[in-house]
Amino acid sequence: MRSLLQFIGRHFNFLLLLLLEIVAFVLMATMQPFRQAAFLTSANRLVAQINSVASDVTAYFSLRTQNEELARENADLRFALETLRNRIEPLEEDSSLYQYAHLMNDYIPARVVDLTTDRPHNHLTLNKGLRDGIRPGQGVISAEGVVGTVSAVSEYYALVVPLIHTQTRISCRILPSGSTCFTSWNGVSDRYAALEDVARHVSIAVGDTVVTSGLGGIFEENTPVGIVEQAELGEHDSYYRVRIRLTTDFRHLRYVQIISNPTIEEIREIEHASI
Amino acid sequence: MQAFSNIVRFVVCILLQMLLFNRLWLFGICHPYVYILCLLALPIQVPRWVEMLIGAATGLIMDCICSSPGVHMAACTLVAYLRPMMIKALVQEPDRVVQDISSAVIGKTEYLKLLVLLTLIHHTAVFMFDAWSLAAWWLTLIRIVCSSALTILLLLAYDRLRYA
Repeated sequence: MRSLLQFIGRHFNFLLLLLLEIVAFVLMATMQPFRQAAFLTSANRLVAQINSVASDVTAYFSLRTQNEELARENADLRFALETLRNRIEPLEEDSSLYQYAHLMNDYIPARVVDLTTDRPHNHLTLNKGLRDGIRPGQGVISAEGVVGTVSAVSEYYALVVPLIHTQTRISCRILPSGSTCFTSWNGVSDRYAALEDVARHVSIAVGDTVVTSGLGGIFEENTPVGIVEQAELGEHDSYYRVRIRLTTDFRHLRYVQIISNPTIEEIREIEHASI
Repeated sequence: MQAFSNIVRFVVCILLQMLLFNRLWLFGICHPYVYILCLLALPIQVPRWVEMLIGAATGLIMDCICSSPGVHMAACTLVAYLRPMMIKALVQEPDRVVQDISSAVIGKTEYLKLLVLLTLIHHTAVFMFDAWSLAAWWLTLIRIVCSSALTILLLLAYDRLRYA
């Protein structure tokens, strides 16, 4: 017993180092690849509040571009609204169209208070949390396209794992061919991502658009993801190597929308039941 | 008084890192972690176990800010463990140094050596643990080199301005 105490006394510093490093590694290992505990991340209230104030200040410097973007989005939405209105008018008599209205997605607007784009495991912090109905697993989009999914939520803030995260895979569809595939990101550039599961027989060309498939219920169908910029197929490859240019400019992301799908629980239940 | 100045330095370092240097995107590869100054400058009289706890706490706070649980904690604890050893190896009669560590106190070349070594160790640990895989190792390497260089330059510039 005494020699043990002596040993501890003599190597106290080294043992403390080991202990602290073990704690750090346990944290690293349990939080990989997605960070689920909100208080250990930038969704932590104190950190998020300071970041929120800072982004309030910096937001003033880009008001002009923000306004232009909003005006453009407004114009697009108005156009879409008109098109839909024209299509609905002749059908107005048929009330069966309305019985699914309560199943429509809800879009919760949020502001980005903190984000990284230069790390393999990037994140965004949003200024909406549990109180606003945000739950882990919900999809996040911007006016430009897909952003990511919510991974952790605190009372007032949410942490988002974006598309530019090495573990993110979002189910997509290549248009015009309509075949499904997944996005993947290798951690290099925040403007580009890759597509997986594009088999040899699929017709794909540079300039094709990539949109969400809507499978899994996280994202609405046909939300823009990117444009095919490169599609290579070696003689013996069974899958294409595809590089896409992302439509979302993550570096300048300021406002996003969180998709709250009222049927998501039901979808999950069915998926689990079938497994 | 010395404790107070160290606490002030700690708060300023963390806030600067959080609000300025974490928002700096230099080609997506330069990400200087200048907050390690608050660990580098600690006086040598601090007991080693206290220093390690300070290191771990600093790292954990930075992890909350960067959303990278454990990464900065591991790196900062290592830095706090190695720093007293390095100072003892670099400086003659380290026990006579009572002020916070700077080039004016331990000499320019000694301070440069200390700064370069500890920055490289810290940044290597942070970027490797953050990547958590060797998939894009060349990119991690570039990030380590560029970010360390920038951190060293910034901290040297600060040292010059402060103690010239």
